[in-house]
Amino acid sequence: MSVIYELTPAIVLLPLASFALALFFGAWLPRRGAVVGSLATAGTLGLSLATLAWLLLTGEPHNQTWYTLVDADATFDLTFGILIDQLSAAMLVIVSLIAFLVHVFSLGYMNDEGEPGLPRYYAGLGLFTASMLAFVIADNLLMAFIFFELVGLCSYLLIGHWFTEDAPPSAAKKAFLVTRFGDYFFLVGVVGVLVTFGTAGFAGSEGFPVLAEEAIAAGETFFGFGAETWFSVLGLLVLGGALGKSAQFPFHTWLPDAMEGPTPVSALIHAATMVAAGVYLVARMYGFYALLPTVLAIIAFVGGFTALFAATMAVVKDEIKQVLAYSTISQYGYMMLALGAGSYVAAFFHLTTHAVFKALLFLGAGSVIIAMHHDEDMWKMGGLKDEMPVTYVTFLFGSLALAGIFPFSGFWSKDEVLFETLIHALGGSPLLFGAYAMALAAVFLTGFYTIRMVLLTFHGEPRSDTAEDPHGVRWNVKFPLSVLGVLAVIAGGINLVPVEKLSGGSLHVAFLEGYLERDVGLLTHGEHYSELLHDHAGYTSAYVGSEVTTLLLGAGLSLGLALLGAGSAYGLYRGAVPTRHTEKLGGLRTLLMHNYYQDEYQVWLAEGFTVRLSSAADTFDQGVIDGAVNATSSVSLSAGSRLRRIQTGIVTNYAALILLSLLALLVVFAILGGWL
Amino acid sequence: MFVEALILSCLIGAAVVFVAPSGYAGRVAFGVSLAPLLVSLYMYLGFDGSGNAFLGGDVAYEAFAEWLQFGPYAVNYHVGLDGISMPLIVLSTVLTTLAILSAWTPIDSRQSEFYGLVLFLEGSLIGVFSALDFVLWFVFWEAVLIPMYLLIGVWGGPRRKYAAIKFFVYTNVASLVMFIGYFGLIFGLGDAISSTSMPAIAEALRAGQLGYLGTSTIGIGPDALAMAAFLAMFAGFAVKVPIVPFHTWLPDAHVEAPTPVSVLLAGVLLKMGTYALLRFNFTILPQQAAMLAAPIAAIAVISIIYGALLALAQQDLKRVVAYSSVSSMGYVILGLVAYTVYGVGGATFQMVAHGLISGLLFMTVGVFYNATHTRMIGDMSGLASKMPVTATVFLTGAFAYMGLPLMAGFMAELFVFIGTFESTVLPAAPLFAAAAMFGIVIVAGYLLWAMQRSLFGPFRLETDYELGRAPLHDVAPLVVLVVLIIALGVAPDLFFEMIRDATLDVIDVGFGGGLR
Repeated sequence: MSVIYELTPAIVLLPLASFALALFFGAWLPRRGAVVGSLATAGTLGLSLATLAWLLLTGEPHNQTWYTLVDADATFDLTFGILIDQLSAAMLVIVSLIAFLVHVFSLGYMNDEGEPGLPRYYAGLGLFTASMLAFVIADNLLMAFIFFELVGLCSYLLIGHWFTEDAPPSAAKKAFLVTRFGDYFFLVGVVGVLVTFGTAGFAGSEGFPVLAEEAIAAGETFFGFGAETWFSVLGLLVLGGALGKSAQFPFHTWLPDAMEGPTPVSALIHAATMVAAGVYLVARMYGFYALLPTVLAIIAFVGGFTALFAATMAVVKDEIKQVLAYSTISQYGYMMLALGAGSYVAAFFHLTTHAVFKALLFLGAGSVIIAMHHDEDMWKMGGLKDEMPVTYVTFLFGSLALAGIFPFSGFWSKDEVLFETLIHALGGSPLLFGAYAMALAAVFLTGFYTIRMVLLTFHGEPRSDTAEDPHGVRWNVKFPLSVLGVLAVIAGGINLVPVEKLSGGSLHVAFLEGYLERDVGLLTHGEHYSELLHDHAGYTSAYVGSEVTTLLLGAGLSLGLALLGAGSAYGLYRGAVPTRHTEKLGGLRTLLMHNYYQDEYQVWLAEGFTVRLSSAADTFDQGVIDGAVNATSSVSLSAGSRLRRIQTGIVTNYAALILLSLLALLVVFAILGGWL
Repeated sequence: MFVEALILSCLIGAAVVFVAPSGYAGRVAFGVSLAPLLVSLYMYLGFDGSGNAFLGGDVAYEAFAEWLQFGPYAVNYHVGLDGISMPLIVLSTVLTTLAILSAWTPIDSRQSEFYGLVLFLEGSLIGVFSALDFVLWFVFWEAVLIPMYLLIGVWGGPRRKYAAIKFFVYTNVASLVMFIGYFGLIFGLGDAISSTSMPAIAEALRAGQLGYLGTSTIGIGPDALAMAAFLAMFAGFAVKVPIVPFHTWLPDAHVEAPTPVSVLLAGVLLKMGTYALLRFNFTILPQQAAMLAAPIAAIAVISIIYGALLALAQQDLKRVVAYSSVSSMGYVILGLVAYTVYGVGGATFQMVAHGLISGLLFMTVGVFYNATHTRMIGDMSGLASKMPVTATVFLTGAFAYMGLPLMAGFMAELFVFIGTFESTVLPAAPLFAAAAMFGIVIVAGYLLWAMQRSLFGPFRLETDYELGRAPLHDVAPLVVLVVLIIALGVAPDLFFEMIRDATLDVIDVGFGGGLR
């Protein structure tokens, strides 16, 4: 084992140490834990980069049990282990990069603003990062679940950071409960996988995806179901957790509320940790999902639908972070769509570019919010581009990437997702056309709401006193923005598949594809997944005309729609004093502002239904069950007091009683003895 | 030798504390309770038992002395520990010491008597978990009721008399039912046994030596007898656990009992019921348990869901925690009836985990009560800003209760879920497991909601008390419990290894429930 893999645990332990230090000694640490946190995540970033470089250079992966929780002789063990393959090595870099930048940014957002509870905040960030990293390197589903849950805990703590107000604790509770509802299914799935396979390992020929493949081939049955049916049930159960964390319909409701947390936390949650965890989980066990066509179709449809559904709501929102929240839901929809449509590489590509530009957008929004003295209403902003040029330029880059405008990073990845969906739809999976159409429609809306957000925030005349004289920001804000701003432009360069195809394969610029498809002996590479998808899900590619024609058509279509959306927004919202066009939508706007009443029915389920059911249960318990207990005791007490009345203490009464009893006995014996 | 040292140090300590001056009683009791605590830890470290004490395993710290002859049966003093009882002994000694510390603040009258009774209770509990002779066991079992009755009835809240009598009568009637059931078995075994030794009885029963109660012409046949005895014992222990619908004494007792008594009641006394179910019903009558698996699992699931719903409806923090015990004990029952390594082992692990976690929550509610003099959720808000450490502990305890990974509760529930899912005894086992697991959503709901209302938001307190920092002796036990809960969550094999070793024989019953 190479030295680099001996150091892998440190990737998790460094931020964990920062958590412990900030928790116990935060009051005495420089900058209340910010420095330690930044150093720890910088170290983690360095180690992650080294790990990635090592894997790239040597092609030597790592898959080993690290700690045994339960060493059961008579049945399967429960263990923690480390799995470093292409997916996890790349994800480590994304997570630690964003975590590091968020720590630095927090210096500007939290420390400089004099927020209370800083040690608690940095402890939370440290644990959040550590949990996510441990989730990423998990070598089995149980370990993944464990750290998935801890990620949920950290989001609860961080969303509820300002706990003395009313809204944050409520939002934190909602985030935890909604995701836990998803995790319930996940846990059932984990237990099911453990029991079915006796292992929950992801990789290698002993991993459960490979065992599942063999079981399907052998036609085994489980609990009275055929292998594929049973695995589909398990796959859907685990998917419940992924949909919950990745805020996919119908579990998306927690995410917009989670904006109550500090903005850097939102960046971390949306770009690299909690929300990414769901998509990462599906990608992590893609060898399992690739066997299950039904589940893939469901993933694709939920993804496509969520992409469109969330984008419609983003169109009418007035608060900058709300727009971003719905855009996150929508973008993760694209990733789910890619996974469902059989494009593992495109999904991870979009995850990567999205991590960069969404972190950028949230940190940019954070910078704006500092400038606006924590007012988030875009209608009170305007004209900020001249006051904060760094924020403006980087935010614009992030927005263009989000909108999918050529040549920003988001264009390449989104185009890849759409292209792969299209060719698999053409290749004999016509159901995917539906998901494709929804995703295309969402491209238009994304262009629209993104440019609307940029125009309202930065262009036109200032619409409030704070916007005229915004609060300045320092290096600790500008530095993360600049790093991410550059990346948002160039990150698409890691996977220029269209360029490679247009060049007829002579230019090898699809780096990510080559990286993810390389076989390093763990059966978690893209090539293997493609075979499984082909053999089990029947995914094949077909084209309109030639491959290049389809490519150009698809790219032209999505770019055209994005530009159309962006152009419409530009037409409507440019100028010194933009008008509130969305109000013309009337009833539709009300529906969208209320998020299709999704929150209402979920709140009803929790409060209207469950709480009422519980008080009915309480009434039943007090009245009927406890009533029966008390009635038993009352009956015996009153029976006792009735019986006591024959104890009168008068001798003649007793004598009469004795005589009568004797007579009665004689009669009984007489009858029984046959004397009469 | 060691078990006697444990019991005697508690009883002698109790006597010392009874005569100690009231002002010092708390400190003396704490000092005295360190003796059994340290002895039990030493015993844990040196534990060398293997197998199940009732099924021919190597018993650790065994002691035997002839006592008396009862008709054809020899009644002996016989104690010893295996991997099931050892963790419960440690749980009892740890929780008693911590409960004594947590009593320093709230208990301000008749201290000598209070602490004396607590130590007497501890001695009896250790006896229950170590006795291997039925008569001896039953003496300890009943002896537990006396101090508990007094602790609730004398130091309790306004309705203490009602609660104490309800507790005493309810559990005593249950003991009677159980006693009749077990003696039915003893008589049914006839000449197959010559003593009331529980291991001998267990092995005779598992060897199928149960005969007629009475004669074969006028009497109860072995199958009917075993079933009747199973039901009688199950009903008897179900009250103690408690299992729905026999649970209503529990919230009343908890609400009236002072904090340290609640800690012991939820932390250790409830485990007497589940311990006895494991030792009696599920060890000695596995066929009957298998026959009744589906209905037992059904009431376990009902306990889990219904208990959690009841907890959701409560406005009194202590009642919330009390009802959640009903829910948690359901997991124990479900694990037992699954008859798998993870099921029975997980049930036993859950006894320890729940003891620590519910103890932690009751203590924390007590610390809040000491400061605010109210437990009603509606009376307070934003406590976290005034009592940050206690609030953090409560948050930790609440998440432990919700089954947050890397804490003891998660491991216990995970074991039970795995064990239930793979059970071959239980029909439609995965469905039972999935239904039971829904408890983790409801428990998160009511605890998060209760915390949101009481700990977070702007500070408000309806009662007129100045909130200060809680004293060290209030906080220290909380910290100890948090450390133990995390330790068992990260390294469950600290206890789970010996538990597994002792439960393997229980599940190895040869009707397909065995090893998976």
